[in-house]
Amino acid sequence: MRSKGNWRWWFVGVLVPCAIWAQVKPEQTGQVEKLPSPHPRWVFATDLVLERTSVVDVEQSRFLGVVPAGYGTFLPLFSRRRPEIYVPSTYYSRRTRGERTDVVEIYSTESLGFLTEIPIPPKRALNRIALNHAALSDDERFVAVFNWTTGTSLSIVDVERRQFVAEIDTPGCSLAYAAGPRRFFSLCPDGSAFVVELDDEGRERQRRRTAPFFNPRSDPVTEKAVRAGAIWYFVSFEGVVHPVDVSGEELRFLPTWSLVDEQDRQQSWRTGGAQHLAAHARLGLLFALMHQGGPDTHKEAGTEVWVFDVREHKRLRRIPLRFPGATIYGFAIEPDASWRWPLPWLWQRALDHWIPPLVKSITVTQDAQPLLITACEFAGALGVYDARSGEFLRRVQPIGWMTDLLFAPYESSQ
Amino acid sequence: MGNWLSSWIDAFCANWARRLAEQTSRRGFLARVGALLVGVSSYPLLPVARAHTARREAVPGEPGLDHPEGDPSQCQYWRHCAIDGFLCSCCGGTQRSCPPGTIQSPVTWIGTCRNPADGKLYIISYNDCCAKHVCGLCYCHRNEGDKPVYYPQRSNDINWCHGINNVVYHCSTAIVLGEAKDGV
Repeated sequence: MRSKGNWRWWFVGVLVPCAIWAQVKPEQTGQVEKLPSPHPRWVFATDLVLERTSVVDVEQSRFLGVVPAGYGTFLPLFSRRRPEIYVPSTYYSRRTRGERTDVVEIYSTESLGFLTEIPIPPKRALNRIALNHAALSDDERFVAVFNWTTGTSLSIVDVERRQFVAEIDTPGCSLAYAAGPRRFFSLCPDGSAFVVELDDEGRERQRRRTAPFFNPRSDPVTEKAVRAGAIWYFVSFEGVVHPVDVSGEELRFLPTWSLVDEQDRQQSWRTGGAQHLAAHARLGLLFALMHQGGPDTHKEAGTEVWVFDVREHKRLRRIPLRFPGATIYGFAIEPDASWRWPLPWLWQRALDHWIPPLVKSITVTQDAQPLLITACEFAGALGVYDARSGEFLRRVQPIGWMTDLLFAPYESSQ
Repeated sequence: MGNWLSSWIDAFCANWARRLAEQTSRRGFLARVGALLVGVSSYPLLPVARAHTARREAVPGEPGLDHPEGDPSQCQYWRHCAIDGFLCSCCGGTQRSCPPGTIQSPVTWIGTCRNPADGKLYIISYNDCCAKHVCGLCYCHRNEGDKPVYYPQRSNDINWCHGINNVVYHCSTAIVLGEAKDGV
């Protein structure tokens, strides 16, 4: 049996020097990352399988974290004045049954942590593509959530005072587009817009319906419009651009123009996809996801992105696309040291040339040297291009199990 | 007879698995399997092969089950011309009935599809089956006559699980309502 003195000798003579010379130092537990200020090259990508939004730095190819969501499709809204993200979400008390609760959840942009929630009527529309199913007013005081129960309405939430304010019926008209400090509009089945203006408390101050500005029977606009400054760009199945100026007292429907010319039409070029438009406000650019196909292909995946000058109504360039990347259960499928020749070469050829691009969603960063970001719904991966030259830069993967909608909301570091 | 053969097969498989494990990382193996899966499934991506686990119910007056346009487990099935969702035929139901334990939504969207067997146009009601989590099998997305969500009765993007107190979507049926007349 060893004496106490022996143990002391071991401690002083062996353990202490070992601890001092050890290469890996002891570390603290309980550390949680915080985020730096939001950056224009942060991209938010929704994932319907994992029910969350991934936050990705596409400049550094870094996965930063996630913003959770509830059941079904969802649309995150981003404040530029407050470090907050608003997510209208739906929950059942027993996951897919029991009591339904709808809320607007508020998350911190700094920590991505949950801040609070505001209950709203359990009527939120859960349609396949959540684009423009909610909107943040231009003064960032109110969120409008589009409700669908076969009847239509908007739930108005005061996100500054953290309270639900009112439900405003929108007879037969759908969706929510922000159109001024306290104004939203919806689209109606006859091709008109239904405009609601709020008072300082968020209650209805005025409502009016415009004259139809497109023909929903012969050539409907898609609901996936994008906004650049004060102008919303709606694009029809046939590629006609309907700009709507929301800067004045009344909505102004500006002259229409076309994404396609006669030759494009003969070659059956059309716009389509789940999120087929993107805009860069300061540069005055409109990006449209394009494919070749017949009528009724307005949701088909794109093979090219066409870039337009919205002032000149002129196409500036065509960007041929590549498959954004392949993932399976959160693993990126890419060669590592265990892949023997010629597998890496073959796989790279497949990714870049043989697999069709299958791009369903696009967005563009809002900085001076913008990046075009693409995604395919079957993979948790992003394709990154120089939006000005069209050069393919890289793939960023894995970012999830699938990718639905993309957002690059910040114009500069906040 | 079986003993020595099964021992030999056991030994062969064990050796093969050991060698594979020695030569590959688990992640690398997954990646290669994934590559194979993506490669196989992306050519052609859609429509994919018939779901052998599906319930395929022949209907008199339609193309036979051996034709894609007559097979309710396939996206090319003639009634699916405006569908967006998971086919109930693959999920324990049929093209005209919901899987067990789900609830069929009474409200719906409609499409107008041509039956290649008789060349006639029919009105198809795409009633969603609801109240269980998404089926996830045999996704099919076709848009003949589809309109945006502000034109609801013709929009396949709308979640039609309504009027039943549960909006959880499971799969979609394709039910013939009748022959389309007067350009409906």
